[in-house]
Amino acid sequence: MSQAGVLVATPTEQPPEADLTFDDLYRSSRDDVYAYVAGLLRDQAAAEEVTAAAFERAYRKRSRFDRRRGEPRAWLFGIARNAALDELRRRGRQAELAAEPEDLASVPAVESAEQSERRLALNAALATLAPRDRELIALKFFAGLANAEIATVLGITESNAGTRLHRAVTKLREACDEAI
Amino acid sequence: MKPFSEMGEAELAAALHSLRPEPRPAFAAELDERLAAGFPRRASRTARNPFARLLAWIGDGSRWHLLIPAGGAALAAIAVATVVLAGSNGSESALQIDSAGTAGSAAPTGPKSAEGSGTYGANAKSAPNRQPMESSAAGTTIAPAPAAPAAAAAPHRDVERGADIVIGTPPGEVATASSKVFEAVHAYNGVVVSSSTRDGRGTHAEATFELLIPSGKLGDAMAAFSQIGEVLSRHQTTTDITAPTVSTRERLQDSQARIDSLLAQLATTTTEAEREVVEAELRAERGHAARLKANLSNLNSRASLSRVTVRIESGSGALAPGGSSGGWGVGKALGDAGHLLSVAAGVTIVGLAALAPLLLLALLAWLAGRAWTRRARERALT
Repeated sequence: MSQAGVLVATPTEQPPEADLTFDDLYRSSRDDVYAYVAGLLRDQAAAEEVTAAAFERAYRKRSRFDRRRGEPRAWLFGIARNAALDELRRRGRQAELAAEPEDLASVPAVESAEQSERRLALNAALATLAPRDRELIALKFFAGLANAEIATVLGITESNAGTRLHRAVTKLREACDEAI
Repeated sequence: MKPFSEMGEAELAAALHSLRPEPRPAFAAELDERLAAGFPRRASRTARNPFARLLAWIGDGSRWHLLIPAGGAALAAIAVATVVLAGSNGSESALQIDSAGTAGSAAPTGPKSAEGSGTYGANAKSAPNRQPMESSAAGTTIAPAPAAPAAAAAPHRDVERGADIVIGTPPGEVATASSKVFEAVHAYNGVVVSSSTRDGRGTHAEATFELLIPSGKLGDAMAAFSQIGEVLSRHQTTTDITAPTVSTRERLQDSQARIDSLLAQLATTTTEAEREVVEAELRAERGHAARLKANLSNLNSRASLSRVTVRIESGSGALAPGGSSGGWGVGKALGDAGHLLSVAAGVTIVGLAALAPLLLLALLAWLAGRAWTRRARERALT
């Protein structure tokens, strides 16, 4: 008996390399994509639908991904951004949806009054931000993208991305101070 | 509480990170399952929008393999168009042959008969159906001759016409072609003077017909013969017999006058000897007049009825079934292949020329659509 107990998958049984790569990309980006989309849309149901649609689109287009045009993560966020903006457009055509109240399940159980007040102020300030600024905040602080990746997603230069991000943060600070 | 404007970057980042939305475990699990299943399609809002559905269908990377059958269909369309056009070209060739035959028969314009009297070429000024005809081979367009300047004012002329035509048919169809010859002769009030048919399966078969066709219908009859099969050769001749006809007629009139004179002379004879002499001259003159009448009748017959020889050939020198005349060898195959390729190239070029504006419009529409979508998405952020 040769190679007893060793299961060797034939090449046809192994998933394609593209699928393996996409699986890695999905595992590493699922929560980040959701965080970005939810931060931009501020609607849990819509965020879930857009996130699922973005991964579905990316999965179907995975064979057309060209690494020379950017990192897979930036490519995925570009697809998610388009899906999110399409959702925003649909909202614009339909009745404006009110931002959902904060998910109580996400509120830390042990939190000081100051922390709670600060979090509420930040949340309120984010709601007042323009979607363009909120998107930058979401990409940077929710999804954890580097400035270079943000630049690729938005189709701008890295320095431009840094400048815009700085302005967005400044507006957020001002909005938070006004909210306190 | 410290104002946010005085908060450090790291502190603000930590505060923001605490607000980071996290997916529900149920949603994350559902998404994991969908990934494992290869993201099967699900009903969405686009499913209700046919245009969005079409765009999604086209944009789906897995659909690009449909280009293969689409390309195959395009190639098939080109092949069909090539076959149709090549076939129609062949028909046009056949039509050219037929029309040449018809033209050569119905509107003969040959300047001079190859076998006619030498005087005809100079004297032919009659109506078109009395002009000489000449056509040596099938498919050879008869060169139009310059119109006779005084054709309208030309006096009546007597023209004897004859024609030989050789028709090729596939083996085994000589009998059918022969019956068509009989039908054509009957249709144009002609006469079959003689006919000879030799048939045989797989061997050389032929039929020959000696016909008399009314000269006024010779053109139509020749056209009908040309349609029986492929015309392998055709030869038409004309001979102007005006001079002998007129001469014979005049001599006949003279003879009649001589007979009348002799009859008058006979009435005035007084002796038996004189009467016998006049009667002998009268008998001789009447015999002469009878011969002249026969000659004149013969000449009139030659002018009114054209002698036509129709030969139907089959065998190695004639047609293969459904093919053209002559053998089909490598040279002809190469010629056919070249013709087919040129037609295919023509069809492709014409097809591309027709499709190019549409493709350009589609490309422009696609680019405009992309630009519009991009702008609309950016507008959604404002």
